[in-house]
Amino acid sequence: MDSQGEVTSLLTAWGRGDQNALNQLMPLVYNELHRMARRAWSGLDQGNTLQPTALIHEVYLKLAGSENASYQNRCHFLAVASTAMRQILVNHARSRHTVKRGSGKIALSLDDVQPAVHQEAAEVVALHEALERLQAIDARKSRVVEMRYFGGLSIEETAQALGVSVITVNRDWRLARSWLIREMKGEGA
Amino acid sequence: MTPQPDWQEIERLFNATVDLPNHERQALLDSASAPVRAEVESLLKTDDQAFFAVPPVHLTADLLERQPGALNSGQFVGNYRVESLVTRGGMGEVYLARDPSGIPIALKILRRHLIVSEQAIDRFETEARATSALHHPNIVAVRDSGESPAGLFIAMEWVEGPTLRLLMDAGAPDTAQAIDLCGQAARALAAAHAAEILHRDIKPENIILRNDGVLKILDFGLARLSGPVRLEVEATGASGTISGTLSGTLLYMPPEILRGETATTASDVFSLGALFYELWAGRHPFAGETPLDVFEAIECRLVAAPSTLRAGIPPEIDTLILQMLDRDPAWRPAACEACDVLSRSSGKS
Repeated sequence: MDSQGEVTSLLTAWGRGDQNALNQLMPLVYNELHRMARRAWSGLDQGNTLQPTALIHEVYLKLAGSENASYQNRCHFLAVASTAMRQILVNHARSRHTVKRGSGKIALSLDDVQPAVHQEAAEVVALHEALERLQAIDARKSRVVEMRYFGGLSIEETAQALGVSVITVNRDWRLARSWLIREMKGEGA
Repeated sequence: MTPQPDWQEIERLFNATVDLPNHERQALLDSASAPVRAEVESLLKTDDQAFFAVPPVHLTADLLERQPGALNSGQFVGNYRVESLVTRGGMGEVYLARDPSGIPIALKILRRHLIVSEQAIDRFETEARATSALHHPNIVAVRDSGESPAGLFIAMEWVEGPTLRLLMDAGAPDTAQAIDLCGQAARALAAAHAAEILHRDIKPENIILRNDGVLKILDFGLARLSGPVRLEVEATGASGTISGTLSGTLLYMPPEILRGETATTASDVFSLGALFYELWAGRHPFAGETPLDVFEAIECRLVAAPSTLRAGIPPEIDTLILQMLDRDPAWRPAACEACDVLSRSSGKS
């Protein structure tokens, strides 16, 4: 079976509730995310203008192929890939966050020599943890945040992937954001 | 622990009130039970607050792309062949690269997928424009700038040596070396001012002493002919702190900039004066524990003469530094006047 066929059947199996299919799918998604990102932004691919928010769509087209792309599978894929994007970032941020930044010395410089991902490590970890608490209260809202924030999906794409209306996603998004910001502030203070 | 108020009720009340003006919210809030009301009120407070400076999806994209390394050695950016990574910034990197004839250059790259604000592009282009308009041995030379698939780039003269920050951390230079360093820095600033360009971010991290003893001022990213400093205050989520990123560095900021007034050549002179002070006295004139302490020190603290902190400082330099740190920009000497004092001093020593 070619890799496109493999991904398609794994997605279909996962859609039927086969958890094992997800385990086989994840490494393929990880690999392709890495490969695509390096190709897009390391300057090897002349004239590429891929936006980070379009990354998982490109990965889907690559993995599933346009012919095999069923609507259902695509929705499942966007969910899997958003989770993968979250894991990648959180794992890295956690390893960074252990090295505590700032020791009371004042250096309010605009151009810190740290990459953005290191500067935001504490926030990423805090968001991830707050999101886990939100999941216990309202699973759909935590999915919305995961897809929007970590996956980079638009409101419309998120609505499609979750099979709910745009109005619902808008509402979920707004309440979830307020809730998360409050949680994260409460923690940091 | 008190029982959690009903989430669905909270959601209903939040959705019903969030788009209403304050006075119309009250009646609806009043009709809810106390715990639900308290919860919704606290959620309404955080509605619309800013979250991340860079959205997580951009961070992940960056991370995915960086492993194992951003640009590979041997890769070309414009005409320049990348050799190795020197440092990484929030939105890009600096590489050691070679031009077609093998001359080393510093290649600064602004990565397109990390650019989330137009300001970053402005800053980058300003640096390229301002620096390429300046030709002075003590100002790092821009050879070329442009755009490549890897991002926007600036190709600069390669300078190898410690920053003044590193140098000062390693210990105070002797009098002759200190006079020489101050003289070179003052001449660079005088040249920029003569071309009507302000640096606006003079600090020891932005000055390199090349291994052959030639000092170079870098990073004209905030340079501008004139105009007010933009105050960019952004709340960053988790810590709840305001990471008040004034464009530039607080410790070297003159009082008029803190008050929101327009930067002038005298503002650069003040920043350079603070740097001279640190170099000669071994300690920063406005050091403080918190940003507020630093604010207050710059606004009000009586600056002790450097000579009270360290012996052997020539009196004319002691006076010059205090004049450069005058709270009133009108009383500060021009950069070229500082040059004169320093060159006379250098003749004596």
